[in-house]
Amino acid sequence: MLRRIRTTKKLAKRIDLQYFKRPHPLRRWRFWLSLSVPIVALGWLVAQRTQGGQKAYSSGPLSASHAVFTQQCSLCHVTRAGAFFRDVSDDACLACHDAPVHHAKQAFTPTCSSCHLEHKGSIHLASTSTASCTQCHENLRARDGKPHFAESIASFDRAHPDFSPAAKKLTDPGQLRLNHYLHMQPNLMGPNSKRVQMTCEDCHHLSGEHGPVAYAEELVTTGSLDQANILHTRSRPSPMLPVKFATECAGCHTLQFDTRFGPEQVPHDKPEAVHAFLVKRFQEYIGRNPASVHLPEPPTRQFPGRIRPVRTAGDASEWVQFRVDDAEWLLWSKTCKQCHALKKNAGTLPEIIPSAIRTRWLDHATFDHKAHRMMNCTACHTKALDSHDTADVLLPGIQTCRECHRDEARSKEVAEGRCFECHQYHDWSKAGLPKHRFTIPELRGTAELHVPQP
Amino acid sequence: MAILAVAVASYIPYSLRSPQGPRGGSFPGLIYGSVGFAFMLFAGLLGLRKKFPIWRIGRAQTWMRGHLWLGFVAFPLILLHGGFHFGGLLTRVLLWMFILVFTSGLLGAALQHFMPRLHTAQLPMETIYEQIDRVRGQLVEEAQQVVDECCAALEGEVSSATERQRAAAASAGASWDVTVASGMQVDEQASTELRRVLSSEIRPYLEKTGRHGVRIADAPVAAALFRQLRVLLPSTIHSNVDDLENICEEKRQLDNQSRLHKILHGWLLVHVPLSYALLLLGAWHAVVALRF
Amino acid sequence: MSSKPAPDVQLTIDGTNISVPAGTTIFDAARLNGIAIPTLCHQQNENPVGVCRVCVVDVGQRVYAASCIRQAEPGMNVKTCSEPVLAARHTLIELLISDHPSPCARQQHSGDCELESLAASAGVTEARFPKRSTPRGKDDSSAVIAVDHESCILCDRCIRGCDDIRHNWVLARRGKGYQAGIAFDTNLPMAESSCVSCGECMVSCPTGALTNKRVVGTELGQGDVLDPTELLHLPIFQNVSGTFLELNQKAVVKRHYRAGEIICREGEFGSTAFYILEGKAEVFLASPMAHVETAGTSQGFFRKLKSMLSPREQHRRSEESDRPFIPIDASVDLPYDRPIAELSPGDLFGEMTCMSYYPRSATVRAKTDCVMLEMLRNVLDILQRNKTFRAQLERNYRARALDSHLRSVPIFASLTKDFIDHLRDRVELVRFSPGQVICRQGDVADSFYLVRIGFVKVSEERPGGELILAYLARGGYFGEIALLSGSPRTATCTALDHVEVVRIARTDFELMLDRFPDVRAKLESIAHERVAENRRRTTQLQTLPVDQFLANGLMEAQSLLVLDLERCTRCDQCVHACADAHDGVSRLVREGLRFDKYLVATSCRQCRDPLCMVGCPVGSIRRRNSLEVIIEDWCIGCGLCANNCPYGNINLHPFPVELDDPAHPGRKIASTRVKATSCDLCHDHAEPSCVYACPHDAAHRVNPPEFFAGLLKQSSVAKG
Repeated sequence: MLRRIRTTKKLAKRIDLQYFKRPHPLRRWRFWLSLSVPIVALGWLVAQRTQGGQKAYSSGPLSASHAVFTQQCSLCHVTRAGAFFRDVSDDACLACHDAPVHHAKQAFTPTCSSCHLEHKGSIHLASTSTASCTQCHENLRARDGKPHFAESIASFDRAHPDFSPAAKKLTDPGQLRLNHYLHMQPNLMGPNSKRVQMTCEDCHHLSGEHGPVAYAEELVTTGSLDQANILHTRSRPSPMLPVKFATECAGCHTLQFDTRFGPEQVPHDKPEAVHAFLVKRFQEYIGRNPASVHLPEPPTRQFPGRIRPVRTAGDASEWVQFRVDDAEWLLWSKTCKQCHALKKNAGTLPEIIPSAIRTRWLDHATFDHKAHRMMNCTACHTKALDSHDTADVLLPGIQTCRECHRDEARSKEVAEGRCFECHQYHDWSKAGLPKHRFTIPELRGTAELHVPQP
Repeated sequence: MAILAVAVASYIPYSLRSPQGPRGGSFPGLIYGSVGFAFMLFAGLLGLRKKFPIWRIGRAQTWMRGHLWLGFVAFPLILLHGGFHFGGLLTRVLLWMFILVFTSGLLGAALQHFMPRLHTAQLPMETIYEQIDRVRGQLVEEAQQVVDECCAALEGEVSSATERQRAAAASAGASWDVTVASGMQVDEQASTELRRVLSSEIRPYLEKTGRHGVRIADAPVAAALFRQLRVLLPSTIHSNVDDLENICEEKRQLDNQSRLHKILHGWLLVHVPLSYALLLLGAWHAVVALRF
Repeated sequence: MSSKPAPDVQLTIDGTNISVPAGTTIFDAARLNGIAIPTLCHQQNENPVGVCRVCVVDVGQRVYAASCIRQAEPGMNVKTCSEPVLAARHTLIELLISDHPSPCARQQHSGDCELESLAASAGVTEARFPKRSTPRGKDDSSAVIAVDHESCILCDRCIRGCDDIRHNWVLARRGKGYQAGIAFDTNLPMAESSCVSCGECMVSCPTGALTNKRVVGTELGQGDVLDPTELLHLPIFQNVSGTFLELNQKAVVKRHYRAGEIICREGEFGSTAFYILEGKAEVFLASPMAHVETAGTSQGFFRKLKSMLSPREQHRRSEESDRPFIPIDASVDLPYDRPIAELSPGDLFGEMTCMSYYPRSATVRAKTDCVMLEMLRNVLDILQRNKTFRAQLERNYRARALDSHLRSVPIFASLTKDFIDHLRDRVELVRFSPGQVICRQGDVADSFYLVRIGFVKVSEERPGGELILAYLARGGYFGEIALLSGSPRTATCTALDHVEVVRIARTDFELMLDRFPDVRAKLESIAHERVAENRRRTTQLQTLPVDQFLANGLMEAQSLLVLDLERCTRCDQCVHACADAHDGVSRLVREGLRFDKYLVATSCRQCRDPLCMVGCPVGSIRRRNSLEVIIEDWCIGCGLCANNCPYGNINLHPFPVELDDPAHPGRKIASTRVKATSCDLCHDHAEPSCVYACPHDAAHRVNPPEFFAGLLKQSSVAKG
């Protein structure tokens, strides 16, 4: 039985009334820690300042190309007016880089840094995100009238219009008759009377390739393939070389004109040049063989239904004229006509309608065949083997590209689908030279850098 | 909560559409950042509010609720602000500090939810934490007086026992009710034994906080000791032995209270200093980020 | 009978022939001749009554005669110590001793109880007869004389002394058989009777039935002890028994004070009163006339929690009294704005301290060289019952204090001087002893009372028990409600200690109301308020059965601060807030007893019976109509309220103040003064600061009946 009795008064009396004002370990610790931890933080900031410069404030490592000036923040973060703000202005970028304008009439010019984001680690700075482009192109407005292009391109996957040949349902304007199907058949007559099976690579070459050319004229040598480099591009895309007669056709499509000359061919040239060539050759021949004037013509093959009178010439010049006519008749009616479209003019030489082979189908994008050289040509150009008509456009549509190229290029197992993969923002045709030339000490930071302000 | 919902909802289109992805410096990112920082500032102001508890600028409870909710919402906002990235060194440090502050705050809120109940149930004889040492000192004196009185009674000095009993009226929250029966048999041995128990077992326990390896810090051991004492001593002073036991029990509860209280308030030692440092660095970060 | 003188009587006592004048009693005859006959009820200066029969002698007749009253007859043969006489005497003494609580008080104290001495000399060691079974009790009411009816042998000496010698006619016999005893007036307690404490009865009493009450610290250390004869020369000690003064010699001393000397300080505890014989003294309050504010906002950002006191002009609290006078324990009241007054010869101060051991209410300093009498309560009691002294006291009061006293009651502030003059001689000063009822609930109302000194408890009988409405101190008044409305008394007024009231008769009261209609208006409004308040409290009590509460003192409370322990994180914010609001002094302690899961914090409970208010020497603690305690500016920091509060809710706190430096006039020095502090429910704000500042919604100020009723109902339902 307890004799201790607790009463309120006794309990209260044992408490010192000022207890809450007196120091106590818990409170003391809280106070001192609350004082010291921020001071430590401040000290750390100061230490950072004195030692590492402004490295602590960097929001991420620089890209590989700029990593050389990681320590020199002021190269890009230039002090602007007011002396507080040191954000990156376009001038800093433009000190080394040139950035021609995209379109003269664009509504606003985004700053360099709004598309090219630094401090993201070792990325390729030029690999801008889709959003950089879609900030305008998602809802394109023209100052006057309607834009020439699709008004809304939001992404490659869904909103990108089909490539213009397919979209506009273009046809190949080429005037050269070409039947892909036929050319891909087996057992074609090849050079030197051998039977051949052609492949795509026999006619279509990548620029930069220096391998032997299968069906070229003998005059063609390696090293001369890069002549035609139509696009003034600065970076990668390597176009397919245009198909030339001399390199791709001449091996099979011989231009013989007369049995007297055997395998000699007329030059693949304008009718006037061919005419001149023929006249010269026949004149030379009759000069060497004057007796041939009166020789009867060897039996010529006549087209059924088209009887050509065999004429015997009186003298050499007549002979030459007759023979030239015969040869030209063969050429204009058959040989050349096999591929070219001729416009016959009565009495004069025909006119070869220009072939107008379109070498570039995509005006606003570049396609790099070299990057795709491991592909089977028909994997993308699916219609090639079945194309009978020259008018067929054998360029694949966007769906083919979408098989591999999607927007989320970084994450999933797809190929790069961002805009920069095919398109350029800066109009490099108007590119200029850098404004400033640096010395090595300046770049390395050992010398004072003076970036000229415009 | 509405703000949080709005913020999260607006994050998704924002992150998809911005040119470089969600960034601290972009406009929505700045909004997230400033709103989050504003919430954190308000949360930090709670400490200041507590310094002036009588200013009638809103009840402490309202401020506390505000602190909890806004602090809670600030975390996802800051995550959104940073686009779930850690960023550079300063921002990495900041985000880790924020995570620590946030988790310690959550822990504290949880503790404050269930610990008081535990505290109350386990400690019927609790007192004010800061005064535990003082009360403990009073317990020591009380125990001494109980034993002195018993020993005086045992040694036959009845009048001095009663006098001491009268004098011992006010210590350690107890008041004396029943007088010690006079006319008990003199028992010197019991008295010596009682004094020995006091000096060797009870006093060492009472005089220091915590257990310190003292035997009777264990409740069963103490119960056994007091049972022995009751066997030894005459039944008229058993109530005194009960008192001694009660005193030891109170000391036990005070130790327990000390421990529980430290748990209940210990997390603040992490939460508060770090949050001040967080606010400081956060402000610095805002300045620096805007600058660059 | 005849003109010639009676002849002498010849008789034989114990073999000796003696001759005595006619009419001499046997006892006297024996005494005159050197023979001692033991007596008990006979005293030389009193008429004999022959009650105790101890003086019986054998006169040769059938029965023994009581020698004290039996006249000597010629030829008597008196045997005073023969065997049968001694045996008879022995038996008589045995009979008397059998009921006597030996050792009685007198025997213990001075060893001269006549009965016990007699018994010792007669060889009576123990009685064969059992003690009487009917106890006759004690009467402790008088301040000077202890009455123990157990020791009384009904010798009637005291009666004779009071009636015949002193002519006070207070004592008489009462009752029959075993209930017989002596009584004061109509068997009132001695202090309530008309006894004047002259001490004659005590001096006369042979046993310990009437003994001198010893006051603690009977001997006053300092001062000159006065001879009783000197004292008797003073007019105020007229009619006091010299023997009595002699017994209490050291209880009154003469003190000399030089000018400027402090006689007593406010707040000190003491047990003496002072009567000024010569010289003048100043009485004043040295504590600053200020209270601690309840701050709504902190003043200043870096201000440490130091205390600040503000007087009522600077900071008014609601229901703060505007009393112009502060009641103190002297014959004058001190004005609020300049609390200093003068005492002159013939003034008495320190009554309450002396009679009821209250702390000193003011500081007294000798203005000129003074001669004073310092006395303990027994002497003061004698004085206060002394007619001369009373007359002088009343005269003083009427001349000096009545005016300010009446005016200090706010409703009478507008009374004109001539009316007060009219009242001056018509008021009556009536004394009451502790526990005496002044007026009872239900009685017919016939007077209006002002309290001059002491504490009066005003209570009302309610269905649930007695509810104490107020404690009134000096300056308080009561009795007006019934007078105004013509109904019976609405409450019972009881004296808690030695109370003196000024009674204004009904006719005068009504005259006052007629002449001063604004007084009537004020009184009526106050009465109205009080009635409304009482009615409100009655209905509150009736809605819930009061008897269902735990008797943990919770029932006494009207407002409790409870802390929900399941939410409280023990963060002390409530304490900080309270301290902030009250200049660094927390009014609550977060410790106390538990009730269920609630901690009932140590903070003012606004008890229905406010024990703290009893005894304030300056009447500075009282209750506002809105329940909470207000401590007025003139608290002197004596600490009585803190002691009285059974829960320890009132604490004294030192405050630093600047006082005039006595050494360098015009400059101030820092000093500390103590003031009592208590929770005031943060009256000026919507919510108490502690409740406001709790971050976890754990602190609540609740009304116990409503709050705990639910809990108790649940638990009682659970118990079935």
